[in-house]
Amino acid sequence: MSIITIATTKGGAGKTTIARLLLGRLNLHGMKTAALDADFNHSLTDWVTAVSKLPIKVVHELDETRIVPTVSDLQEDHDMVVIDTAGAASQATIFAIGCADVVIVPVATSNSDIIEAIKTINLIKSAGMMMKRDIPAKVVLTAVQPGTNLAEHIEKEIAKAKLPVFEQRLHRLVAFQEMSFTGVIPVNGPAGIQATNLLSEIIDLA
Amino acid sequence: MSKKDFSNVTADLSALAATLPTQRTSAVAAVPALPLVKTPAPPKPKNEPVTQFSLSLRKDLRKQLSRLADDAEMTMRAFVLDALKAKGLDVRDDDLVDLRKERHEVG
Repeated sequence: MSIITIATTKGGAGKTTIARLLLGRLNLHGMKTAALDADFNHSLTDWVTAVSKLPIKVVHELDETRIVPTVSDLQEDHDMVVIDTAGAASQATIFAIGCADVVIVPVATSNSDIIEAIKTINLIKSAGMMMKRDIPAKVVLTAVQPGTNLAEHIEKEIAKAKLPVFEQRLHRLVAFQEMSFTGVIPVNGPAGIQATNLLSEIIDLA
Repeated sequence: MSKKDFSNVTADLSALAATLPTQRTSAVAAVPALPLVKTPAPPKPKNEPVTQFSLSLRKDLRKQLSRLADDAEMTMRAFVLDALKAKGLDVRDDDLVDLRKERHEVG
Protein backbone atom coordinates (compact mmCIF):
# COMPACT_ATOMS: atom_id res chain seq x y z
CA MET A 1 0.00 0.00 0.00
CA SER A 2 1.54 3.30 -1.05
CA ILE A 3 0.36 6.86 -1.23
CA ILE A 4 1.97 9.09 -3.80
CA THR A 5 1.37 12.81 -3.72
CA ILE A 6 2.19 14.96 -6.71
CA ALA A 7 2.76 18.54 -5.69
CA THR A 8 4.29 21.79 -6.77
CA THR A 9 3.09 25.29 -6.11
CA LYS A 10 3.49 26.05 -9.82
CA GLY A 11 0.65 25.27 -12.20
CA GLY A 12 1.24 23.61 -15.56
CA ALA A 13 4.35 21.71 -14.48
CA GLY A 14 2.91 18.29 -15.38
CA LYS A 15 1.27 17.13 -12.15
CA THR A 16 -1.87 15.75 -13.74
CA THR A 17 0.06 14.16 -16.62
CA ILE A 18 2.21 12.26 -14.12
CA ALA A 19 -0.89 11.30 -12.11
CA ARG A 20 -2.52 9.86 -15.26
CA LEU A 21 0.67 8.04 -16.13
CA LEU A 22 1.07 6.49 -12.66
CA LEU A 23 -2.58 5.54 -12.27
CA GLY A 24 -2.73 4.09 -15.75
CA ARG A 25 0.48 2.09 -15.61
CA LEU A 26 -0.18 0.72 -12.13
CA ASN A 27 -3.69 -0.22 -13.17
CA LEU A 28 -2.38 -2.01 -16.24
CA HIS A 29 -0.07 -3.93 -13.90
CA GLY A 30 -3.15 -5.21 -12.08
CA MET A 31 -3.02 -2.94 -9.07
CA LYS A 32 -6.18 -1.46 -7.57
CA THR A 33 -5.64 2.25 -7.91
CA ALA A 34 -7.47 5.28 -6.57
CA ALA A 35 -7.01 8.98 -7.11
CA LEU A 36 -7.70 11.95 -4.89
CA ASP A 37 -8.03 15.06 -7.03
CA ALA A 38 -7.46 18.15 -4.87
CA ASP A 39 -7.15 20.53 -7.80
CA PHE A 40 -9.72 23.24 -8.54
CA ASN A 41 -9.56 22.36 -12.23
CA HIS A 42 -10.58 18.71 -11.56
CA SER A 43 -8.71 17.69 -14.74
CA LEU A 44 -7.79 14.30 -13.30
CA THR A 45 -11.38 13.61 -12.26
CA ASP A 46 -12.62 14.53 -15.74
CA TRP A 47 -10.00 12.31 -17.35
CA VAL A 48 -10.78 9.28 -15.18
CA THR A 49 -14.53 9.61 -15.56
CA ALA A 50 -14.80 10.68 -19.20
CA VAL A 51 -11.66 9.60 -21.06
CA SER A 52 -9.91 6.69 -19.38
CA LYS A 53 -11.50 3.26 -19.69
CA LEU A 54 -9.55 1.94 -16.71
CA PRO A 55 -11.26 1.00 -13.44
CA ILE A 56 -9.78 3.81 -11.36
CA LYS A 57 -11.63 5.16 -8.36
CA VAL A 58 -11.46 8.96 -8.23
CA VAL A 59 -12.59 11.44 -5.60
CA HIS A 60 -12.55 15.20 -6.16
CA GLU A 61 -11.96 16.92 -2.83
CA LEU A 62 -10.89 20.51 -2.21
CA ASP A 63 -11.78 20.72 1.47
CA GLU A 64 -8.56 20.42 3.49
CA THR A 65 -10.47 18.96 6.42
CA ARG A 66 -11.52 16.03 4.18
CA ILE A 67 -8.11 15.21 2.65
CA VAL A 68 -6.83 12.97 5.44
CA PRO A 69 -10.13 11.09 6.03
CA THR A 70 -10.57 10.56 2.28
CA VAL A 71 -7.06 9.15 1.88
CA SER A 72 -7.69 6.95 4.88
CA ASP A 73 -10.90 5.65 3.28
CA LEU A 74 -9.30 5.09 -0.14
CA GLN A 75 -6.37 3.11 1.26
CA GLU A 76 -8.83 0.63 2.77
CA ASP A 77 -9.37 -1.22 -0.48
CA HIS A 78 -6.74 0.03 -2.92
CA ASP A 79 -3.12 -0.89 -3.51
CA MET A 80 -2.08 2.60 -4.49
CA VAL A 81 -3.53 6.07 -3.93
CA VAL A 82 -2.31 8.95 -6.08
CA ILE A 83 -3.05 12.50 -4.90
CA ASP A 84 -3.04 15.29 -7.44
CA THR A 85 -2.85 18.75 -5.87
CA ALA A 86 -3.57 22.29 -7.01
CA GLY A 87 -0.81 24.43 -8.47
CA ALA A 88 -0.57 26.63 -5.39
CA ALA A 89 0.45 26.27 -1.76
CA SER A 90 -2.66 25.48 0.23
CA GLN A 91 -3.80 23.69 3.35
CA ALA A 92 -5.05 20.78 1.24
CA THR A 93 -1.58 20.40 -0.30
CA ILE A 94 0.07 20.26 3.13
CA PHE A 95 -2.24 17.49 4.33
CA ALA A 96 -1.75 15.60 1.05
CA ILE A 97 2.01 15.82 1.64
CA GLY A 98 1.54 14.64 5.22
CA CYS A 99 -0.22 11.48 4.03
CA ALA A 100 2.37 10.63 1.40
CA ASP A 101 4.94 7.87 1.25
CA VAL A 102 6.54 9.71 -1.64
CA VAL A 103 6.08 13.21 -3.01
CA ILE A 104 6.81 13.87 -6.67
CA VAL A 105 7.56 17.47 -7.61
CA PRO A 106 7.30 18.09 -11.35
CA VAL A 107 9.42 20.82 -12.91
CA ALA A 108 8.82 22.01 -16.46
CA THR A 109 11.19 24.19 -18.43
CA SER A 110 10.84 27.61 -16.89
CA ASN A 111 12.54 29.66 -14.22
CA SER A 112 9.36 29.92 -12.16
CA ASP A 113 9.02 26.11 -12.21
CA ILE A 114 12.41 25.84 -10.48
CA ILE A 115 11.61 28.59 -7.97
CA GLU A 116 8.31 26.94 -7.04
CA ALA A 117 9.96 23.51 -6.87
CA ILE A 118 12.44 24.88 -4.32
CA LYS A 119 9.54 26.28 -2.28
CA THR A 120 7.67 22.99 -2.51
CA ILE A 121 10.68 20.92 -1.42
CA ASN A 122 11.12 23.29 1.55
CA LEU A 123 7.42 22.91 2.39
CA ILE A 124 7.81 19.12 2.33
CA LYS A 125 10.86 19.37 4.60
CA SER A 126 8.89 21.54 7.04
CA ALA A 127 6.03 19.05 7.04
CA GLY A 128 8.49 16.20 7.68
CA MET A 129 10.05 18.07 10.59
CA MET A 130 6.66 18.73 12.16
CA MET A 131 5.67 15.08 11.74
CA LYS A 132 9.08 13.87 12.93
CA ARG A 133 9.49 11.61 9.91
CA ASP A 134 11.28 11.76 6.60
CA ILE A 135 8.96 12.37 3.67
CA PRO A 136 10.82 11.18 0.56
CA ALA A 137 10.51 13.74 -2.21
CA LYS A 138 12.16 14.20 -5.56
CA VAL A 139 11.86 16.49 -8.52
CA VAL A 140 11.02 15.09 -11.94
CA LEU A 141 11.90 17.13 -14.99
CA THR A 142 9.02 17.27 -17.48
CA ALA A 143 8.54 18.54 -21.03
CA VAL A 144 12.28 18.16 -21.54
CA GLN A 145 13.62 18.85 -25.03
CA PRO A 146 16.97 17.07 -24.97
CA GLY A 147 19.92 18.63 -26.70
CA THR A 148 18.64 22.19 -26.35
CA ASN A 149 20.33 25.00 -24.47
CA LEU A 150 17.15 25.30 -22.42
CA ALA A 151 17.33 21.69 -21.23
CA GLU A 152 20.99 22.13 -20.32
CA HIS A 153 20.23 25.35 -18.44
CA ILE A 154 17.42 23.74 -16.44
CA GLU A 155 19.70 20.84 -15.47
CA LYS A 156 22.36 23.28 -14.24
CA GLU A 157 19.84 25.31 -12.25
CA ILE A 158 18.42 22.18 -10.62
CA ALA A 159 21.94 21.08 -9.68
CA LYS A 160 22.77 24.55 -8.36
CA ALA A 161 19.65 24.49 -6.16
CA LYS A 162 20.71 21.03 -4.90
CA LEU A 163 17.24 19.63 -5.51
CA PRO A 164 16.88 15.83 -5.27
CA VAL A 165 15.93 14.68 -8.74
CA PHE A 166 14.77 11.47 -10.40
CA GLU A 167 17.24 10.11 -12.95
CA GLN A 168 14.51 9.64 -15.52
CA ARG A 169 13.38 12.77 -17.33
CA LEU A 170 10.05 12.96 -19.12
CA HIS A 171 10.51 14.40 -22.58
CA ARG A 172 8.04 16.54 -24.47
CA LEU A 173 6.47 13.61 -26.30
CA VAL A 174 3.22 13.45 -28.21
CA ALA A 175 2.26 10.22 -26.43
CA PHE A 176 2.10 12.03 -23.09
CA GLN A 177 -0.05 14.80 -24.56
CA GLU A 178 -2.30 12.37 -26.43
CA MET A 179 -3.01 10.55 -23.19
CA SER A 180 -5.29 13.42 -22.09
CA PHE A 181 -7.47 12.98 -25.20
CA THR A 182 -7.37 9.25 -25.81
CA GLY A 183 -6.82 7.76 -22.36
CA VAL A 184 -4.18 5.49 -23.91
CA ILE A 185 -1.34 4.94 -21.45
CA PRO A 186 2.06 4.68 -23.15
CA VAL A 187 3.67 1.31 -22.55
CA ASN A 188 5.94 1.10 -25.60
CA GLY A 189 8.26 3.42 -27.43
CA PRO A 190 10.18 6.30 -25.84
CA ALA A 191 7.21 7.43 -23.71
CA GLY A 192 6.57 3.92 -22.45
CA ILE A 193 10.23 3.40 -21.54
CA GLN A 194 10.42 6.72 -19.72
CA ALA A 195 7.23 5.92 -17.81
CA THR A 196 8.56 2.48 -16.85
CA ASN A 197 11.86 3.88 -15.61
CA LEU A 198 10.21 6.68 -13.62
CA LEU A 199 7.73 4.27 -12.07
CA SER A 200 10.57 2.00 -11.05
CA GLU A 201 12.40 4.87 -9.33
CA ILE A 202 9.22 5.98 -7.55
CA ILE A 203 8.53 2.48 -6.23
CA ASP A 204 12.12 2.22 -5.01
CA LEU A 205 11.67 5.48 -3.13
CA ALA A 206 8.33 4.53 -1.57
CA MET B 1 -2.87 -4.83 2.70
CA SER B 2 -1.32 -2.95 5.62
CA LYS B 3 -3.26 0.13 6.55
CA LYS B 4 -1.65 3.34 7.59
CA ASP B 5 -2.69 5.37 10.57
CA PHE B 6 -3.19 9.02 9.69
CA SER B 7 -4.45 10.11 13.08
CA ASN B 8 -1.42 12.34 13.70
CA VAL B 9 -1.28 14.01 10.28
CA THR B 10 -3.88 16.69 10.93
CA ALA B 11 -2.62 17.47 14.42
CA ASP B 12 1.03 17.62 13.42
CA LEU B 13 0.47 19.80 10.38
CA SER B 14 -2.33 22.08 11.50
CA ALA B 15 0.08 24.84 12.60
CA LEU B 16 1.84 24.78 9.24
CA ALA B 17 -1.45 24.55 7.37
CA ALA B 18 -2.76 27.58 9.23
CA THR B 19 -0.15 29.69 7.44
CA LEU B 20 -1.55 28.70 4.04
CA PRO B 21 -4.79 29.60 2.25
CA THR B 22 -7.80 27.32 2.26
CA GLN B 23 -9.29 25.83 -0.90
CA ARG B 24 -12.76 25.54 0.60
CA THR B 25 -15.12 27.70 -1.40
CA SER B 26 -17.63 27.64 1.47
CA ALA B 27 -15.01 28.98 3.85
CA VAL B 28 -14.14 31.74 1.41
CA ALA B 29 -17.82 32.63 1.01
CA ALA B 30 -18.28 32.68 4.77
CA VAL B 31 -15.80 35.49 5.27
CA PRO B 32 -17.92 38.35 6.62
CA ALA B 33 -18.11 41.51 4.61
CA LEU B 34 -16.26 44.46 6.00
CA PRO B 35 -18.53 46.73 8.01
CA LEU B 36 -19.45 49.98 6.37
CA VAL B 37 -17.12 52.69 7.53
CA LYS B 38 -19.00 55.77 8.64
CA THR B 39 -16.99 58.82 7.84
CA PRO B 40 -16.70 60.85 11.02
CA ALA B 41 -17.97 64.38 10.92
CA PRO B 42 -15.22 66.99 10.81
CA PRO B 43 -14.47 68.36 14.24
CA LYS B 44 -16.51 71.33 15.23
CA PRO B 45 -14.32 74.43 15.28
CA LYS B 46 -13.99 75.78 18.77
CA ASN B 47 -15.48 79.14 19.59
CA GLU B 48 -16.86 79.64 16.11
CA PRO B 49 -18.94 82.79 16.37
CA VAL B 50 -22.70 82.45 15.90
CA THR B 51 -24.53 85.25 14.22
CA GLN B 52 -28.16 86.23 14.17
CA PHE B 53 -29.99 86.27 10.88
CA SER B 54 -33.56 87.39 10.28
CA LEU B 55 -35.71 87.53 7.23
CA SER B 56 -39.14 88.87 6.37
CA LEU B 57 -41.67 86.85 4.49
CA ARG B 58 -45.40 86.92 3.82
CA LYS B 59 -47.55 85.78 6.68
CA ASP B 60 -48.96 82.91 4.65
CA LEU B 61 -45.46 81.64 3.79
CA ARG B 62 -44.54 81.83 7.47
CA LYS B 63 -47.58 79.64 8.29
CA GLN B 64 -46.68 77.12 5.56
CA LEU B 65 -43.10 76.96 6.83
CA SER B 66 -44.30 76.35 10.36
CA ARG B 67 -46.64 73.56 9.22
CA LEU B 68 -44.00 71.81 7.09
CA ALA B 69 -41.45 72.02 9.90
CA ASP B 70 -43.99 70.58 12.35
CA ASP B 71 -44.74 67.74 9.93
CA ALA B 72 -41.01 67.00 9.69
CA GLU B 73 -40.69 67.29 13.47
CA MET B 74 -38.06 69.96 13.04
CA THR B 75 -37.72 73.55 14.11
CA MET B 76 -38.28 76.13 11.38
CA ARG B 77 -34.61 77.05 11.67
CA ALA B 78 -33.51 73.42 11.20
CA PHE B 79 -36.02 72.96 8.38
CA VAL B 80 -34.67 75.97 6.48
CA LEU B 81 -31.06 74.93 7.04
CA ASP B 82 -31.83 71.39 5.91
CA ALA B 83 -33.40 72.73 2.72
CA LEU B 84 -30.36 74.93 2.13
CA LYS B 85 -28.09 71.96 2.73
CA ALA B 86 -29.80 70.26 -0.20
CA LYS B 87 -28.81 73.27 -2.28
CA GLY B 88 -25.17 72.84 -1.33
CA LEU B 89 -24.78 74.95 1.78
CA ASP B 90 -22.18 73.46 4.17
CA VAL B 91 -24.60 72.54 6.95
CA ARG B 92 -23.38 70.14 9.61
CA ASP B 93 -25.48 67.83 11.75
CA ASP B 94 -24.89 69.91 14.84
CA ASP B 95 -26.27 72.94 12.98
CA LEU B 96 -29.63 71.18 12.93
CA VAL B 97 -29.80 70.69 16.69
CA ASP B 98 -32.88 72.21 18.30
CA LEU B 99 -31.33 75.11 20.19
CA ARG B 100 -34.50 75.62 22.23
CA LYS B 101 -33.82 72.29 24.03
CA GLU B 102 -30.22 73.33 24.77
CA ARG B 103 -31.42 76.63 26.15
CA HIS B 104 -34.08 74.84 28.19
CA GLU B 105 -31.56 72.33 29.60
CA VAL B 106 -29.09 75.10 30.48
CA GLY B 107 -31.86 77.13 32.10
